[in-house]
Amino acid sequence: MRRPLGIEWMKIRNYRTFWILLGIIIASIPAFNYMIFSFTNNQFPKNKRGVSPLGNPFSFPDAWHTISWFSSLLFVLPAILVITLTTNEFTFKTHRQNIIDGWSRNKYISVKLVGVLFLAVICTIVVLLTVLGFGYLGNKGPVNVSIWEGSRFLFFYFVEVLSYSMIAFVMAVLIKRSGLAIGIFLIYMIVEQAVMGILTNIYHLQAAQYLPEETTDRLIPLPFIQISDPAGWEHRIPGYLIAAAIYLIIYCVLTSRYFLKSDL
Amino acid sequence: MDVLKATGGTYSWFGEPPSEKQRQKIGTLLETPNFYHYLSGERNLRIAAAIKGRGAGDIPRVLEMVKLTERKDSKFSTYSLGMKQRLAIAACMLGNPDVLVFDEPTNGLDPVGIAETRETIRLMAREGKTIVLASHLLDEVEKVCTHVAILQRGELLMAGDVREVLVNEDIVELGVSGGLEGRLQEALTSWPGIRQVKQQDGLMQVFFEAGITPDMGELNRFCFEKGIVLNHLQLRRRSLESKFMELTNEPTKTIKNN
Repeated sequence: MRRPLGIEWMKIRNYRTFWILLGIIIASIPAFNYMIFSFTNNQFPKNKRGVSPLGNPFSFPDAWHTISWFSSLLFVLPAILVITLTTNEFTFKTHRQNIIDGWSRNKYISVKLVGVLFLAVICTIVVLLTVLGFGYLGNKGPVNVSIWEGSRFLFFYFVEVLSYSMIAFVMAVLIKRSGLAIGIFLIYMIVEQAVMGILTNIYHLQAAQYLPEETTDRLIPLPFIQISDPAGWEHRIPGYLIAAAIYLIIYCVLTSRYFLKSDL
Repeated sequence: MDVLKATGGTYSWFGEPPSEKQRQKIGTLLETPNFYHYLSGERNLRIAAAIKGRGAGDIPRVLEMVKLTERKDSKFSTYSLGMKQRLAIAACMLGNPDVLVFDEPTNGLDPVGIAETRETIRLMAREGKTIVLASHLLDEVEKVCTHVAILQRGELLMAGDVREVLVNEDIVELGVSGGLEGRLQEALTSWPGIRQVKQQDGLMQVFFEAGITPDMGELNRFCFEKGIVLNHLQLRRRSLESKFMELTNEPTKTIKNN
């Protein structure tokens, strides 16, 4: 796999759009969080001891939760990068040429899947550095708390960003056109939220929380407010993770089988 | 080449079932050059060489061969159609493969590009490469290839030496009046080199064996001496396209040249 990944690197290392999008992703995660930090720090009246009613959401241990949640809102950026890099191959027909030149279809799709995984890892590392940066620079939390307490939210973020990126990859492989794939990806995100709302609120169907987007969203609840049913949420975490894993397997199988069976 | 999923049939390369390892040993250009538009010609060749499992050491040679050395650092998107096609041929030549597959290699090229591409293919053929070229341009096939196979809906209609299969046949049209067609047809059977005689539109069409060019004066004298006065005598060159049409429309009537 190292050699094919090296070839993938040759494809993108001189691609300006890749660097611009990656730069935006890397810069936007700390910048967006700083924006939220600045807003919450300045807009809410503090009590006599200088404590905000929100607590210290950007200090350890809450920083893991807060920053993972706000960073997950930027899911569209890695998704756009995945769609751009994948559909480029279809536009230039280089996917076809790679096979003609001697790659197996299996190798081609595998290296693309590993590429999506790498991107999710990069995003997670940026979130990790952002958490550590905020945590160390502005720590006002309890002094006797380990900085790694709450770090499972970073793993949840990884699962979420990988899941969103894989949905984008599925769109890119099936649709093949960049603009259309991004549009349908965004529409899907909105439609699933609407469907989830209808199923939950009107039909009281609890299974709706295990829809592809919702199941990873629920891994990281909204910060600042107390989780309404902490024990219930803790209890459901394994279910969310299993559902996310099943969806990831489905995405891999779907894209692989489609690419292996279709005419190029 | 594993680009299309076959609905039936089998094929082999080098006597073995097709695999990606064998594709690495074959230079292939299918219709259009497929490269990363944002990369230079040389960087594109580096990717092709890496996928073929070959080093980058061969790149200067193939670039020189297709006369793209000076533009090797320009982005692929800035290349003309001819240059793009030449870069694709350069990619095919990486590692000096013994077998090359070209599908419509002159598609969309201007006359200069077509001439350059054909000359490059002929040059490679002179080096002893086996080149499989698929084309609908019969003129191109005749100019470039040594052997030809004509396929229709997956059926092999004809295969053989290109000079025999796609020969530019001469047809002589003869006309007589007064119900002498039967005598003329009988007389022509003794004329050497005649392959087929058939009547069409009131005229007698005479087809000759490959390589035989009839002497019209002699033919006229021959008929006259047999007591047949011709009122129409014309030599017609049959185009390659009409020959191809004949082969593909009437597969059972044509000669089989296996």
